[in-house]
Order: sequence, then structure tokens, then C-alpha cells
Amino acid sequence: MKISYKEIIQALFALFLIILICVLINNISINLTRTGIGFSFNWLFRPASFALAEHPLPYSPSDSYAWALFMGWLNSLKVIIYSLLLATVIGVFIGLSRIGKNELLRVVSAGYITIIRQTPLLLQLMFWYFVAFLSLKETVLKPIGNLLSISNQGINFLGITLSAEFSSLLLGLSVFTSAYIAEVVRGGINSVDKGQWESFRSLGLNDFTGLYTIIIPQALPAILPGLTSQYLNLAKNSTLAIAVGYSDIYAINDTIINQTGRPIEGFIILLLSFLFLNLFISNGMEIINTMITSSKNN
Amino acid sequence: MILKKIKQRAFSNILDSITTLIIISFIIISLTTILKWIFFSANWSVVKINLPLFFFGSFPKDQLWRPGLWMSLIAILSFATLLAPRWKWVPKFLPILWISFAPLGIFLLGGGLGLSPVESRNWGGLTLTILLTSFSAILSLPLGIVLALGRQSELPVIRKASSLYIDTMRSVPLIAVLFFGQLLIPLFLPIGLEINRVYRAIIAFTLFVSAYLAEDIRGGLQSVPKTQREAGEVLGLHPLQITCLIILPQALRVALPSLTNQAVGLLQNTSLMAILGLVELLGIGRSILANPEFIGRYIEVYVWLAALYWVVCTLMALIARHLEKQMALEKRG
Repeated sequence: MKISYKEIIQALFALFLIILICVLINNISINLTRTGIGFSFNWLFRPASFALAEHPLPYSPSDSYAWALFMGWLNSLKVIIYSLLLATVIGVFIGLSRIGKNELLRVVSAGYITIIRQTPLLLQLMFWYFVAFLSLKETVLKPIGNLLSISNQGINFLGITLSAEFSSLLLGLSVFTSAYIAEVVRGGINSVDKGQWESFRSLGLNDFTGLYTIIIPQALPAILPGLTSQYLNLAKNSTLAIAVGYSDIYAINDTIINQTGRPIEGFIILLLSFLFLNLFISNGMEIINTMITSSKNN
Repeated sequence: MILKKIKQRAFSNILDSITTLIIISFIIISLTTILKWIFFSANWSVVKINLPLFFFGSFPKDQLWRPGLWMSLIAILSFATLLAPRWKWVPKFLPILWISFAPLGIFLLGGGLGLSPVESRNWGGLTLTILLTSFSAILSLPLGIVLALGRQSELPVIRKASSLYIDTMRSVPLIAVLFFGQLLIPLFLPIGLEINRVYRAIIAFTLFVSAYLAEDIRGGLQSVPKTQREAGEVLGLHPLQITCLIILPQALRVALPSLTNQAVGLLQNTSLMAILGLVELLGIGRSILANPEFIGRYIEVYVWLAALYWVVCTLMALIARHLEKQMALEKRG
């Protein structure tokens, strides 16, 4: 049997990877024995002994670390889903304004996009939290009577209360992502042949009906992949919750690592949590995608 | 004539006219509020007093010329790049200057070779932001190219390993990579070898960004037609020569817009180090706000920081568009 040079290269590469991993593991085990920590997941079932400001299911400090992590995961999921919806609504609106007939509206939405895209998300989040909410101090804003009240405690809308931490994260993430979604929507609609607009106009359809029935269905295949990657970015960006004090999966993980001094286990848990979140979002988008393509074929 | 144009563009029907009027009143109200605040209500003393901190961090007073010189060099280099086509001899040197620029920063900030050493915890402000960005960008580009080529390789072991790395990195949030970079890099190193927080951050940024660059470059690689490789083979070139001299230059040109977007994103993302204990631009803002003398001056500091980030990012985007245009011209010629 002859061994080709390609197999030799692969074998050498695999050997190199194995050696690299072994050296790293060796270093880390030396460091762990030196500090006397070791590697195990038994601590997951010990009481967490820290309080959580927000938890969708009953939780008390005597519950286990695992339960606290699950609460964090649910909190993440909650803020991701709400921001995803709000960002899509704002983003589609801005994206359509950007290509609309009204020149002034186009200029204003272009200004919105550049301001949002050329400043860091973390700065925007801090702005929402410290300036928009916390600096209200004692004042309570009631823009539309008793239906909506905004204070440094958060937002109360039709009896639903949202904490200031959750609200600033929701608004910050939605506004930031909406600027990117707007560009995705604009790109998708521009990818549809200009002749399509002319033909539906010559059929006597108005722009709204034409956009809804003719243009958007053709633009969707170009929009959906971009939208999916923006949703995944949003999910990853939601970990900046720690800057405004919202207890998402990353913030709780951070607290636990500080308490237990186990960064490696913490990293593995975070990695798995995000694997689940990503699968959740990309599978959801895949289902939407097949729903749209199958309805088009019928 | 002008009136007709305005009518066509903003008042073509009733709905349009209503929208236009609403926007105009909205713009007038918000502009007057903002301008009133900027010129009368806001107290800019917090920015004026701390101006050196925002730009250079707590660098020793008598050594301020070092970050100052470095920042001026960037400004000159940026304008030279924008104006380059007017002077024939400049463009040849620009790539070399841009690459040597990050190591020069480390030398000027850190000291050595005749300059007195300054510890990394005294680096800060916009200088540190630009240092983190430029160093991570320069390191992650070659790594990204290698990963992209690895993912396209016909050797399954190399292909699988590259894919695994890229996909894992892309599914993790950046803050986690940076946080665990600070915690885990010392654990992975042999005892006695220690690297400071700034270098740890640069390593973490490089590992993270290269996975994203790799995907952008892969897009570029896929856009190069197969016939290019075949043409190279006909000429009798070695596969390595074909990749480096024929495929990569074309792929990078296609990927350039997304690569420069990643660079702007990287600069914005260096602000994450503010929560992980570095006093780069956002971090220095936070530590100034923690000073009892300036407590509660959130709006002034954040607005100032946003303006600074906006100017830097927009300048970067301008340079990027300019580069893209030049590349496009080269292709035609």
C-alpha cells in the first residue's frame, strides 16, 4: 500500500493538534492542582445562596446553582424573543422608509442608521439605562394617560410591569439590531427587479398593495438569511445584559464563577447554553423559511 | 422649478404631505431641544477637565508626547490614504506603513530601546482603543486567511478542524471569549510565563475576529471562478503559487467590504473591555463617572463618547470605501 503525501500532511497536522491540546491540558492540570481546585460539576447541586431580581419561575437563594443557571437561561430567552420582535418591527419600518418616495423620510432614516451603527452597543445600553431610566429619579412620565408610565423603576404598560434593567436592554438591543435589519430589508427589496414595480403600477395597483403582494414575497428569499444572522447576533449581544444589571445566563454564570472559582466549568456551561440558543433560533428561522417557500409553491 | 421638485419629492400626495409635515415638526422640536441642551444646559467641564484622560488615559504626564505622536501619525496616515492618488509615490509605502503602525504603538506606549518603560495599566483612553483594534486586526487577518483556506482544503482532517474552530467561535458571544481569555489564558500557560491584560485581550480578540474574517474570506474564495485555478495549472505553477498569487488576491478584493466592516465592528467591540477592567475609551468614561467630583454627569460623558466613537468609526468607513474604489479601478485597468 502506498501512502500519498496528502495523508502524511494530514497525519502530521493531526499529530500537531493532539500535541498542542495535550500541552494545554497538561498546563491547565498543573495550574489547577497548584491552586487546589480540580475539575468537577458536583457544585451544580449546592445552594446558590444569591438572590435574583428577576426570575420567571419560583426561585430562592436556597435553590441550587443549576436552577439559578436555568433561570438565567430563561431570562436570556425572554429578552431575546421580545427584542427580536421589536427589532424586526422597527427595522422593517426604517428599511421601508429608506427606499420610500418621501425624500425627507429617507434622509432621516439614513441618519438614524448611521448614528446607531457607528457607535458601540455597550455605550448605547449604558445610555438607555443610566440616562433614559435611572436619571428620571422621582419623576414618572405618563405620555398617554394611565396606560403607560415610565419611571426609574421601569415601564408599566397596561398593567404589565417591566423592570428598568429589562426595559433598557430590550430598547437598546432592539434599536441597535433594527438599524442592521433595516439594511437587510433595503438590500432585499432592492434586489427585486425594478420592472416589477413598473408592471404592478401599470396594472393599477397602489404602492402598498404592490409592495405587500408583489415585491416582498420576491424579496424574502434574499432577506431571510440576513435576518437569521442578525437574530443570532442579537442573541449573542444580549450577554451585554451584565452592564445594566439584568440577570441573564452570562451574568449569572459570572456570579457563579466568582463564588466557586471554577472558570473552566463555567465556560463549558456557557458554551452549551449558547449552542442551544443558536439551534433554537436557526431551527425556528428554518421552519419559517420552509413555510414561506412551500406556501409559494402552492 | 425648485418648488416643483420639492413638491414631487416630499408632497406628492396627501399622505406624503402629512408625513413630511410631521417629520419637519419632529426635526425642529428635537433639534431645538438638543441644541439648547448642548449650548445652555449641559455642563461640559467634565469633558474639558478630563480631555487628556479621554485621549491618553493615565499615561505619565512627562511622557504624553509618546501616545500623542502615535495618534498624530495615525491621523497623518489616514489623510495620506484618503489623498493618496494625488501623489504618485505615496501608495507604494502605505501598506508597509499601516502594518508597521501597530508594533510602533506598542513600542511608543510600552517603552524600551531608550524609552522609559510604562506599565500597561497606565495605557488608556482612545489610544488604547486604537491599539487594541489595530493589533488585533493585523494579527487576525493572516489567521483568518489560513482558517478560510483550511475550511476549503481537500484534506478532511484540516477541513474538519477549521470548520469546528470557526463554528464554535461564531456561536459564542464576544464578552464570554474576552472574559475567559482573561481568566483562562494564564491557566493554559506554563508556570512563570505571564502576559498582561492588554495582550490577553488582544489574543482573545484575535481568536474571535479571525473566525469571522475566515467566513468573509471564504465568501471571496468561492467567488473566484474554477477556471482561474485551471489556468494556473496549465501555466505549470505550483498549487501554493496558484493560491497565493492568483486565487487569494482576487478573493480578498471581493471580501474587502465585509473585512472593513469587521474592522469597524472590532473598534466598537473593544468597548467591551470596559466591563473587564481595561480603561479604554468607554472604560475611562466609566471611571470618570465613578469620581465623586463628576457624579451624575452621565449625559455629557456618554454624548461626548458617542460623538468620538462616531467620528472615528465614520473616518474608518470613509477610508474603507476609498480603498474599495481604488481596488475596483485597479481591476478595470
